[in-house]
Amino acid sequence: MRTLLCTIASLALLVSPAQSQVAYYGRLGLTASTKLIRDAVVQEIDVQPGLAPTIVLGASVPFAPTYQAGLEASLTSSGFHSSELGVETDLGTLRTGSLLLNLEGPLAPRLSWRGGFGVIRYWPADQEGIFLRGGTSRFLAGAGMDYLAPLLASWDLMISLRYDFHRFTTDELSARGFSGSQGVQRLSLSAGLARARR
Amino acid sequence: MKIPAALPILGILIASISCADIASPTRSNAYEWRRIEPAGPGTAETLSFHWPASRLPVKVWAEDTLNLPAKVQAGIDKWKAAFLYREYDAVTVADSNLADVVVRLAPPSKLTLDVVRMRALAPECEGATDFDLPSGSRELQVPVRVFVNPRFDPASPGVDQCLALTVTHEMGHTIGIFDHSPSSSDIMFFDPVVSDLSASDRATAELVYHTSPNVTVSAR
Repeated sequence: MRTLLCTIASLALLVSPAQSQVAYYGRLGLTASTKLIRDAVVQEIDVQPGLAPTIVLGASVPFAPTYQAGLEASLTSSGFHSSELGVETDLGTLRTGSLLLNLEGPLAPRLSWRGGFGVIRYWPADQEGIFLRGGTSRFLAGAGMDYLAPLLASWDLMISLRYDFHRFTTDELSARGFSGSQGVQRLSLSAGLARARR
Repeated sequence: MKIPAALPILGILIASISCADIASPTRSNAYEWRRIEPAGPGTAETLSFHWPASRLPVKVWAEDTLNLPAKVQAGIDKWKAAFLYREYDAVTVADSNLADVVVRLAPPSKLTLDVVRMRALAPECEGATDFDLPSGSRELQVPVRVFVNPRFDPASPGVDQCLALTVTHEMGHTIGIFDHSPSSSDIMFFDPVVSDLSASDRATAELVYHTSPNVTVSAR
């Protein structure tokens, strides 16, 4: 995990912002997530975050004629709940932060793709239940598409669709005898402003 | 450098589809928690209970002597930590009239027919939890009464520790563990010697709260 963070930071510093055309952006949106756990005490129990308001900040620099390298950070905050036989129990508030090193390229006019790897960190508001021993950090892989449309002289409207995937577990779950980890997929839609590179 | 645009997306999709779910523990180390009561010649009934979500947090009052409130709070915290999905919660209250569970430093009161009693018999102290369950009824009457009582001078060695673990043991009965563990490594052993919950205690508590009870609780 530490190695990956160092790699991300090193790559981000490889190209000096002063010497290149750095594009910045910020967006607001919503993120949906699949379940974090599927347990079975007597009946099946699922734990899933709710639809999460999301803030995204990022930057990218060109490193080949048509490709950019980018670093994107996103924060989400939502409730999460367990459900058993259709009965939901509120488990409190869960925040996530993710950092992705992306490769970006053109897909169509005004449309670009991106894919990358990074880390995601879960921060529960309460240290209890599945997070009794604290939050957890996991590797993350993600991809997405961006739509950019000129809006102002040096700002574009940016609409983005993101998908990412990681495997979830916590120290408490491991201590309780859970084995392996749960594949978690997230999908987010967001809109914001990007400082144009033109 | 030409990278097919769909390659990263395709890779992630393949990875996600091929990944398995997390595997739950079996919880096979849980012990019997239900109470088997004689119900007549040759017959018995099995009682199971847990606090419904609508009654959480359970309100607990403790007599303010020999640091009992702190011991009760520690017991509540230990049992709350046994659960992964907020199945159980409890708070201490200052007024015993508002309590679902009343904890006193006293010998157990005289047993009557309508009381289901669970006892703990450690060397330095004793404990008991009484549930009022009127004959023929399946509705438990609150408050549940917990008694803990030192057998020697409270300043004697081991008595304070005994009171602490006995309170945790009795709190285990109040959450719905109506029987004792056969293992001395569990806090719910009839003569408790450990101070913390074991994996078996936690697994049993989880089963209690995910099994439909046949005993309900009266309105407060």
